[in-house]
Amino acid sequence: MAQISDQKRVMIIDDNEVDLKINSKIISITKLFDEVIICQSAEEALNFLQRNLGDNQILPNFILLDIQMPEMDGFEFLEHYRKLPVSFTQTCWIAMLSSTLDFGDIQKAEANPYVVKLLKKPLKPAELQEILNRYYK
Amino acid sequence: MNAPTVRVLYIDDEENNLNAFKASFRRQYEIYTATSAAEGLKILENIDVHVIIADQKMPEMTGVQFFKSITHTFPDPVRILLTGYTDIEALADAINHGDIYRYITKPWSDLELHNSIKNAYDAYKSKIDLRNKIAELEKTNDELNRFIYSISHELRAPLVSVIGIVNLVKMEDLFESSGEYWSLIETCSNKLDYYIQKTLQYYKNNKNITEHSQVDFRKLISELIDLYSYTDRETQFNIKIDQEVDFMGDAFRIEVILGNLISNAIKYQKTTEANKKVNIDIVVTTQHVEISINDNGMGILNEHLEKIFTQFFKSKNHHGSGLGLFIVKEALNKINGKISVISDIAIGTTFKIKIPNGTNQ
Repeated sequence: MAQISDQKRVMIIDDNEVDLKINSKIISITKLFDEVIICQSAEEALNFLQRNLGDNQILPNFILLDIQMPEMDGFEFLEHYRKLPVSFTQTCWIAMLSSTLDFGDIQKAEANPYVVKLLKKPLKPAELQEILNRYYK
Repeated sequence: MNAPTVRVLYIDDEENNLNAFKASFRRQYEIYTATSAAEGLKILENIDVHVIIADQKMPEMTGVQFFKSITHTFPDPVRILLTGYTDIEALADAINHGDIYRYITKPWSDLELHNSIKNAYDAYKSKIDLRNKIAELEKTNDELNRFIYSISHELRAPLVSVIGIVNLVKMEDLFESSGEYWSLIETCSNKLDYYIQKTLQYYKNNKNITEHSQVDFRKLISELIDLYSYTDRETQFNIKIDQEVDFMGDAFRIEVILGNLISNAIKYQKTTEANKKVNIDIVVTTQHVEISINDNGMGILNEHLEKIFTQFFKSKNHHGSGLGLFIVKEALNKINGKISVISDIAIGTTFKIKIPNGTNQ
């Protein structure tokens, strides 16, 4: 595994401003991460990642990704994410975050090699904690 | 109103008959004639014919053979067979294999033939009308289902945000800050979410695709209990699962069925009961799975037992959506399952389910 910085950073990608606010607040209360990177669209997130490739002090080590977004949705984001350098993607896991109850979405998400789980909105700190314990020793 | 144009194709190797037919009926119908089956087929390929009249005795191909040959390629036109008195065998063959609407003996009477064509056209028209109506209904039904699906998604997204805010309020210790208002908002939001989830389940069950996958009942039951006992930690579960063989079935529908029954068993407990209990017994054989879900809850009144599986039935005192058991029944219907219920106000309720095992299909 590549060198990870000590700071834990999460990127939240969601077009819904209310949910962005709620989820970043939950993260700041629970102190599960030191820093939150907020992106209102998948394009914005990709731009941020590409711009900062190689800079481990800025790149996130975890991504919370919404599924239903206009223009580029969560699954399309994953297609682009695959093409990023392995040195980055192997240090950064993704959890999808969605209000979906669609069986197909859930299976599709969890079949993706970069996605550790599909979390259902609302985000529950205990569930997030469990993932972090399992994937970030 | 103008009478509809009826297009008739008449096939006969004797041209005199064709001419006589034309002379008698040209004012009533749009007439196409052919002197052989092959020529008739050419006309069928180009013209949307409603009624076909064919002579039985023709060289190369008989009338019945012709009708048989177009069973799949031109199923819609209604068929009338013309033949001599004595040809019983042709008649039997025609009825059994040629999908013949009428059988008319030669020489024909104009009146009889005219009535037969008229009736044949009516039969053609009702066949087509029915098919159009079915297509229209399927389309409407499909649109309605898709509407239900998308509206449920759209409604759920902001609702989930509201529930998220309530959770945040709890985390910031503000839940008690405005009397019971926050807890009321939470109750209402959860109820609304429950309705939306049931609506989605109903939609998904309505789709006719059945899934065929392995079902591990131990895993499924423990997941469902985790999910539904989330709000109620008091209930004791006694679970006995005897699954030595693989079970193949519709995992989604089985999950919906068991989920609804387990959540009901938890929800409809007696508030005064100190030992709230739910017993789940599952026996899987190569033939089927038998599931029994028993609780010592409030039970169902005898006079209600017959109605619990109908849509929007709810008992007066309890807050349900009236959808849960209806969905259970509908889902079981789709996968050839059976359900029975025994209940007693004093003792509790037992649901028994039987679902065929798909491994032996």
